[in-house]
Amino acid sequence: MTACKTARRFLNRTGRGGTALPGKIAMALDPKVLREASRGMQVILVTGTNGKTTTCRMLEKALEESGKDCLLNRSGANLLSGITAEFVCGTDRKGRPEKPYAVIECDEGALKQVVPLVHPGVILVTNLFRDQLDRYGEVMNTRQQILNGIRLSPESLLCLNADCPLTATLADEVKNPVVFYGIDVPAGDQTQRKISDAKYCVHCGTVLSFAHYTYAHMGEWACPSCGNKRPCPGTAVSAILDMNPDFSLVELRNGDRVREIRIGLPAMYNLYNALAAICAGTAAGLPSEALAEASGSMSACFGRMEGFRIGEKNLQMILVKNPAGLDQAAEFVTGSREEYDIAFCLNDKTADGHDISWIWDADLEKVVKDPHRKAIYVSGSRAEDMQLRLKYAGAGEEEIILEKKPDILILRMITGTRRLFVLPNYTSMLELRKELLKTTGGVEFWKG
Amino acid sequence: MKLKICHLYPETLNLYGDRGNVLCMKKRLEWRGIDCEVDTLSIGETKDLEGYDLFFMGGGQDFEQEVLLRDLDGQNGSEIRRAIHNGKTFLCICGGYQILGSHYETKEGIRCAFLGAIDLYTVGGEKRLIGNYAYRMRQDREECIVVGFENHSGRTYLGSGVRPLGTVLAGYGNNGKDHTEGVHFKNVFGTYSHGPVLPKNPGFCDCILKTALEYKYPGAVLTPLEDRFEKKAHDAVLEQVLGKRKKRRALTWQK
Repeated sequence: MTACKTARRFLNRTGRGGTALPGKIAMALDPKVLREASRGMQVILVTGTNGKTTTCRMLEKALEESGKDCLLNRSGANLLSGITAEFVCGTDRKGRPEKPYAVIECDEGALKQVVPLVHPGVILVTNLFRDQLDRYGEVMNTRQQILNGIRLSPESLLCLNADCPLTATLADEVKNPVVFYGIDVPAGDQTQRKISDAKYCVHCGTVLSFAHYTYAHMGEWACPSCGNKRPCPGTAVSAILDMNPDFSLVELRNGDRVREIRIGLPAMYNLYNALAAICAGTAAGLPSEALAEASGSMSACFGRMEGFRIGEKNLQMILVKNPAGLDQAAEFVTGSREEYDIAFCLNDKTADGHDISWIWDADLEKVVKDPHRKAIYVSGSRAEDMQLRLKYAGAGEEEIILEKKPDILILRMITGTRRLFVLPNYTSMLELRKELLKTTGGVEFWKG
Repeated sequence: MKLKICHLYPETLNLYGDRGNVLCMKKRLEWRGIDCEVDTLSIGETKDLEGYDLFFMGGGQDFEQEVLLRDLDGQNGSEIRRAIHNGKTFLCICGGYQILGSHYETKEGIRCAFLGAIDLYTVGGEKRLIGNYAYRMRQDREECIVVGFENHSGRTYLGSGVRPLGTVLAGYGNNGKDHTEGVHFKNVFGTYSHGPVLPKNPGFCDCILKTALEYKYPGAVLTPLEDRFEKKAHDAVLEQVLGKRKKRRALTWQK
């Protein structure tokens, strides 16, 4: 443990983040170190394709609100090594945890390694979408990995998204106690989905029917053949009162209580993130006041709808890692009532996935066609692929500006007069954020 | 001139950005003033496939392919086999390519009957073959290098009278052993390459369009397009792939 802490301190001092390497060092010395470092802690573990980071941040906030000290692997280091580093550095001199609570963001593939070591009280699965096919394989494969992880801790309370057929049906295949959350009302585009990651019933293979959609393949689903259907959620949005570019106002039903709450971040997927946090938080015994407070003051984290102010200009960064996320970002951006310039930044490092073909599954046509959309920039190690995608989405070759270097991209973008949107995937977000923080003089994330 | 494209089972076989291939074919026809209509065939639907000029079949999840096989057992299966033997043009990717063969044998030894349209078969393997890759393809005395992304656990083996689509330059291809990639049988083009494959490989796309066009309008020609962005995207991946290969070769040599 000392080795791990020293390594972290050294890396921080030399100006690097040090999110995973210290964990690797600790694990090399003692592979089960995470078990010791988390002994006796109450753990809420969050996994699933989209929304992990934002949901975790909201849970952390709710714990803080209720006066409970908690640990969170906040820098997006969500593999076994990163989680180990976080816990080990959170122990006292005797190697015992200093904080009574922990919120863990856990990669779907790392679940089966992390779960038996930390014994979470609550496991939250947010949703399942196609994502990084080269790393996880097909979405059914990811689902299986999650199942394998959950089965290692049959006493953990499982918190599932009722609206996602791939997620909700996990309940049928495990022994754990389960609670569900969902949105009871239709939202957004109701046309039948051309591409869906959850077209068929996972139990019998029949095409699922939808009474309504909320977003992507989520909604009020049912299998016409085997009777498998959306479970009735205990925590639900029963009415959407307002959704605007800054926040949403909804009617929340939690158990028997119905109340109005504010969700401090815009867009449909943040409704789900807030719901997920409220459901998991309730399951962990947090008071509803603290959860409502955390939901209202929910703020952008780490490149996800994060706003930057550069001189007179506003730049909004939206992390996009898969087609469902990119579609949602496109929906959000095209809702803008003023003219804007937009940048798409695509890297293909290991953390992003080497396979970038998913950009062809997203509705970029929507952005290209938007009359408020002005200049388009492309950047990142696969900028050429993004450029080509946009050409086939209908953009003129002369409209697309290719600039591979993130620092120069930012310099070029801020010379314009319009509002700016930047849509990077994971590692390009890290690079851009670093450059932006240099420009604005902000704080770096591992210190945040 | 007009080509009618039939996208086979798009709701099921749509993994890995496959719809980009259909979009690419459509745009490249339209940019040349050739009309293009895209239609789809879904599970449970029956259609007279005679009226179509070009067929596309993408890759899917293993789970969903079971549902599909039941459908291919019926009339749709025989229609597809007939279209292939009549010389209609097909582009089939990954799972869609495997389905053309006689069978798939899982790594547990369970044999699953496929369409049997082409003499080839696939065997499930332990390790998934994943990564950017490149292969050399020869068409009408013209050579082109195709770049794409492969991600398959199946190993495909071609029958003795069946030609591969290309020779692997870097990566795995059909089975990671014999350096073959894909199949070219009559006017069927089968490949493991998604990415999607066509936008970054305009030569390959035009070769398919030309085949379909000549079948319908003998002597038809395709006017060349500028393809500036296409070439840039192609070359960027090729550099990445061949660079890696040189590195690998250097490492082997060191041993």
